Amino acid sequence: MTIRPFRILLVFVTSLIPLALLAVFVFLARYSWPALTFNGWHFLVGRTWSLGNLYADPVTQRGVLVPIGADYGILVFIAGTLLTSAIALVIAIPVSLGVAIFLAEGLRSRLKVPLSFVVEMLAAVPSVVYGLWGYAVLTPLVAHTLGPGLRAVLGFVPFFAGPIGSGYGLLAASIVLALMVVPIIAATVRDALARVPAETKEAAYALGATHFEVVRRAMLPTVRTNIIGAGILGLGRALGETMAVLMVSGGALNYFPSNIYSPITTMASFIVSQLDSAMQDPTGMAVRSLAEIALILFIISVVTNIIARLLTGASRNASAV
Amino acid sequence: MLTRKSKSPLHAALGGSVLALAVAGMLNAPHAFARTINVTETGSTLLYPLFNLWVPAYTRSHPGVRITTQGTGSGTGISEAVSGVAQIGASDAYMSNMQVKQNPGILNIPLAISAQTINYNVPGLNGIHLKLSGPVIAGIYDGQIRYWNAPAIARLNPGRRLPHHLITPIHRTDGSGDTFIFSQYLSFSTPYWNSHVGYGTTISWPAVPGGLGALGNPGMVQAAAQTPYSIAYIGVSFTKEVARAHLGTAVIRNRAGRFLLPTRMTVGAAAAELVNKTPKDERISLVFAPGAESYPIINYEYAIVNDHQASRAMAMTLREFLSWAVDTREGNAQRFLRQVHFIALPPRISALSRTQIAKIH
Repeated sequence: MTIRPFRILLVFVTSLIPLALLAVFVFLARYSWPALTFNGWHFLVGRTWSLGNLYADPVTQRGVLVPIGADYGILVFIAGTLLTSAIALVIAIPVSLGVAIFLAEGLRSRLKVPLSFVVEMLAAVPSVVYGLWGYAVLTPLVAHTLGPGLRAVLGFVPFFAGPIGSGYGLLAASIVLALMVVPIIAATVRDALARVPAETKEAAYALGATHFEVVRRAMLPTVRTNIIGAGILGLGRALGETMAVLMVSGGALNYFPSNIYSPITTMASFIVSQLDSAMQDPTGMAVRSLAEIALILFIISVVTNIIARLLTGASRNASAV
Repeated sequence: MLTRKSKSPLHAALGGSVLALAVAGMLNAPHAFARTINVTETGSTLLYPLFNLWVPAYTRSHPGVRITTQGTGSGTGISEAVSGVAQIGASDAYMSNMQVKQNPGILNIPLAISAQTINYNVPGLNGIHLKLSGPVIAGIYDGQIRYWNAPAIARLNPGRRLPHHLITPIHRTDGSGDTFIFSQYLSFSTPYWNSHVGYGTTISWPAVPGGLGALGNPGMVQAAAQTPYSIAYIGVSFTKEVARAHLGTAVIRNRAGRFLLPTRMTVGAAAAELVNKTPKDERISLVFAPGAESYPIINYEYAIVNDHQASRAMAMTLREFLSWAVDTREGNAQRFLRQVHFIALPPRISALSRTQIAKIH
């Protein structure tokens, strides 16, 4: 008899989470509605972000009161977000796979637990710590060592050639993001590798496979969807990362990166760096346009997370069968 | 061994006294807590070093007041003073007409006069003062002048061997009063900049490939130091940091066509030109002042304060502290201002500030 109220309580508590998600979405959509209608599609394809002249009296444009010259376009920030995340994944996935395989297969059990623990701990380091390290250590390193080295090796590709600049920019931001994403991917893939049925491995050994071949031919294919899912989880983290990127990205405005060393800005870090200035806008349109960036970022991260969930979920069902 | 032995009694004594202090502090605590008033100051990274000199000196003589300071940028200073998160918002920029209309109770109170330097990192030339003008700097920041040996720069610096290197202009990414006065200098001196970019605490920087953004004045110094062939605008209270980073400082052209550095004399001369034009609410730009000896980028450093405070005690504390700050024998004395290269408010301006301070209730 007591099971019923408990059940109702559980349903209530469980529904809070999706409701909160929905509430965030509704809030963002409602709050940014004036910006959505004012900016239209231009928001996604415009390359110029200008708050307009905040010291002159605002004017009425398309039926709304906005500062003179206000123009909100975020294509540059979308490009910055996608580029940093993509390069971060290109760096992070091979490293993570190496770490995961080493932890799952290459170690004696005595070291396995503490080392896996260390890798998982890395995921818990606050992102601003990575940012500070990137600011103080990585950017000079990129400017003086990594950048020139990369240009010497890959300079025949236009994206890796050209001026290296200050070290702040796409490469530094991507490396910081990769460091933050590696523990997430590595831990997920390691868990998946540990779950590969002993029969699968033994069958491969029985066929005369070496240890390497077992990993390469029997284990990795089994966890392929886990790897994709983990990669997308990492992508979700990289897309939304704010402070660490802000500290090393170089805060480029109104132009696209010309090479991998160029300064960039991501959507999340732009919201932080511009909020105070936007608050100076007496018409409020600037803050609402920042909310519109948040809305788009929110949609992108929800979609990537759903894809990750579907992929990892599918593999779990497959292994259960 | 010897040193260790000789150290340990000292350590013991230190430890003992620290313990005694801690105990004394604990005994005192309830009494002190009841009376302490906590004031929060936030905003301009340019004013931040001055507040850090003021606050220990002031709280030593006023034990019931605790003031926390934060360098967060003028944009934050204004918005947190308006929202009430902070009691004093420090800003290098005054509020716009529209902002004042929306928040009629917010005062813009000048505390001192500051200046801004144009700094560069050109290896080999940082020891000398390159000459730059408003239109040339505007050209650099909007991408029309790309190289250090561009004709426009060479014309101002005849006989100098300028390198053929791309210029990296550095700007502030946070809302900043430094951006405000810098872009005012460009707007007032260069019609093209005025009509295409304008001025503000944050502006839509023209697209210059490689152009960098940095956070706060400390970030500007660091980015310029780390980026050869860069140029940056930095508040004068960071002169020490600029020197430590071995950056060059430009002599810049004023309205009268003379090239000057910010000194007490040139900043004072510029301020003197506009003292009598300063209105009662003290919102006025001092940038690009007339006069042969006027340094072109100077400004009032403002405390943004709500004239209506939550409690009488808080209002009284703020009145006392701000009056102390603008007093030439106290906060505006040379012993404080010299360290951050600010200059004191002229008598007429500190009188206007005191009138505004008296409105806090």
